Amino acid sequence: METLNHKEVINLLLQLATMLIMARIFAEIARKLRQPAVVGEILAGIIIGPTILGSLFPAAQDYLFGAHAMSNIALDGFVQISVVLLLFIAGLEVELQVVWNQGKNALKIAVASMALPIIAGFVVAYAFPEFLGVNINDRIVASTFFGLAISITALAVVARVLMDLNLFKTPTGLLIIAAAMIVDVLGWIVFSVILSLSESGSGGLGVWPTIGLTLFFTFFMLTLGKGLINKTLPWINKKLAWPGGLLSLSLAICFLAASFTEFIGIHAIFGAFIIGVALGDSEYLTEKAKEILHQFINNIFAPIFFVSIGLKVNFIEAFDPGIVGVVVIVGLLTKYWGAYIGGRFASLPRKKAMVVGFGLSTRGSMDIILGLIALENGLITESLFIGLVILALISSISSGPLMGWAEKLKI
Amino acid sequence: MFRKIALAIAFSPRMEALLAEVKRLSILFESDLILIHIGEKTEEQESKFQEILDRHELDHDRTKLIWKQGKPVKMILEVCREEEVNLLVAGALKEEGLLKYYLGSVGRKIIRKSPCSVLTLIDPKPETTSFSKVVINGTQLDITPFVIAQGAVFSKAVQADQVHILNEIKMYGLQMGTAGEDSEEEIANTRRQLVQDEMDYVEEILKGIDVSTLKINIKVTGGKWAVELGRFCEKIGADLLVVGDDSRLTFFDRLFPHDLEDLLSTLPCNLLIVKN
Repeated sequence: METLNHKEVINLLLQLATMLIMARIFAEIARKLRQPAVVGEILAGIIIGPTILGSLFPAAQDYLFGAHAMSNIALDGFVQISVVLLLFIAGLEVELQVVWNQGKNALKIAVASMALPIIAGFVVAYAFPEFLGVNINDRIVASTFFGLAISITALAVVARVLMDLNLFKTPTGLLIIAAAMIVDVLGWIVFSVILSLSESGSGGLGVWPTIGLTLFFTFFMLTLGKGLINKTLPWINKKLAWPGGLLSLSLAICFLAASFTEFIGIHAIFGAFIIGVALGDSEYLTEKAKEILHQFINNIFAPIFFVSIGLKVNFIEAFDPGIVGVVVIVGLLTKYWGAYIGGRFASLPRKKAMVVGFGLSTRGSMDIILGLIALENGLITESLFIGLVILALISSISSGPLMGWAEKLKI
Repeated sequence: MFRKIALAIAFSPRMEALLAEVKRLSILFESDLILIHIGEKTEEQESKFQEILDRHELDHDRTKLIWKQGKPVKMILEVCREEEVNLLVAGALKEEGLLKYYLGSVGRKIIRKSPCSVLTLIDPKPETTSFSKVVINGTQLDITPFVIAQGAVFSKAVQADQVHILNEIKMYGLQMGTAGEDSEEEIANTRRQLVQDEMDYVEEILKGIDVSTLKINIKVTGGKWAVELGRFCEKIGADLLVVGDDSRLTFFDRLFPHDLEDLLSTLPCNLLIVKN
């Protein structure tokens, strides 16, 4: 097995240390300003990436993130694992019980809040592919990808905002949470189907077998797979070290599921997400264990991923105000109005529908991952990706104050 | 609390015990008793039942025997609706086999579809069941204030020694996971606040109910409420679990079990499902 040499090991460790330290500093600043940590972590990446550090001190930036190709490959491995784990906890956050309890209303809101951005995003990207920067050779897939990327809600971020506003346990709060969970599940199923249609994403099994396997895998994991987990988890909890046994084996089955979906031609993260849903829904995964998994992944792997975004793209060079403007306007308006209309269909009063609209507009996690996959698959340009990141930053910063404002309205 | 109590009777080994149980309940709640038999009405059957009713010394003026023919579940539920029954008493096995779970046994079908409250006794006794330890579901649901009120009235009537109200913090893992961005002190405060909120919720409901003669313990837990209730009942050896239900459960709920379905697959103890 090929190994890193002395200098490459030092470089890799310095890369990780820099990323974690900068992420922590900026997450703390964001926290002081009552903003989600993800905002600080993305800014930290922009600062130590080619955008700021690369412009001001190119030699230092090159030494850290450019001089050792092998270290960069190893770092990319860390980032890949981080994405898989982020999707795993995104799946753990989905509580099917909450979804069932909120029932049709949550489904109406979730579907409407996704349908409008997907349709509008698709139309805009399909009509102006060159202006927006979507791959003209894979126009349908790239346009749908763009629509999907602006239709996602960041569940963990909105959960935090709702807690801060004291709305988490209210009927509106639970409706937002349940709708965001449905958006997550639908979003990743649609994502897998689209990716299998993409020329660059197809893994060789063909489109229809891949779609069939995606749906089969989802159904299997949420029924029989969950049954198997329910049989195994009590034994793990009882016989193995706690939480060590549970942590290592949950991550192991997460990686197994991720490798399986990657093998059948869907992206690895889909497997991680669905196994997260199945595991999180098990009655034997205690809330304490969920909390530990959250802390472990959110504080170590999530910062590595979000900082890495700033390392991949030069946010000044590739910045296009026209693209960013379109992405932000289309993204904010369609998501808000989609969720608002869904809320009205679910018979919510205007004020509550507005709160739901702003709540579901919260972004800042899965949408960025989607954008990055699209970028890596050549479906979108760096400029469009920057637009998606800025949309995520603006919506995650603004959703809290907007929800608070709507909640106080006397209408 | 229950003006009319109904029991479906058939010539089974459990019939005598179930009759003793409903007789006691009808005395405690001063209720009329409706006995439902699904089958052909013959003279022989009629005299057999009369003999049994006499043996149990049931009040003739307040007891009615109704004969119906057809599908048992459909007919029993039809009588409950026609007679405006408030409580249907049913015997049920503690555990449901896999096939029966998905297809639905008569007992479970009644529980799932009943228009009125249902008391399910897993081990009815001729000397009647003592409801010494009662557990009430206090998790935040629309029906919970009603469930706690009904549970308290029932507990007083059966002279329960201890009443536990179990409340669950919704999505504790997600809430604490997102609180992980805070300092140690803030996290501790969030944790404390989550527990306190649930205590306050139950205490607020109890303010409007006369529970002076009851010994009440409020317990807060995290996780899925139905699963946590089941575990808690088994741990303390509860005699009765009181939960609410305002929805009709379907096959889909069995395929993706949640809430009440989690409890119905394996009953932890006797179960009173309160319907509003």
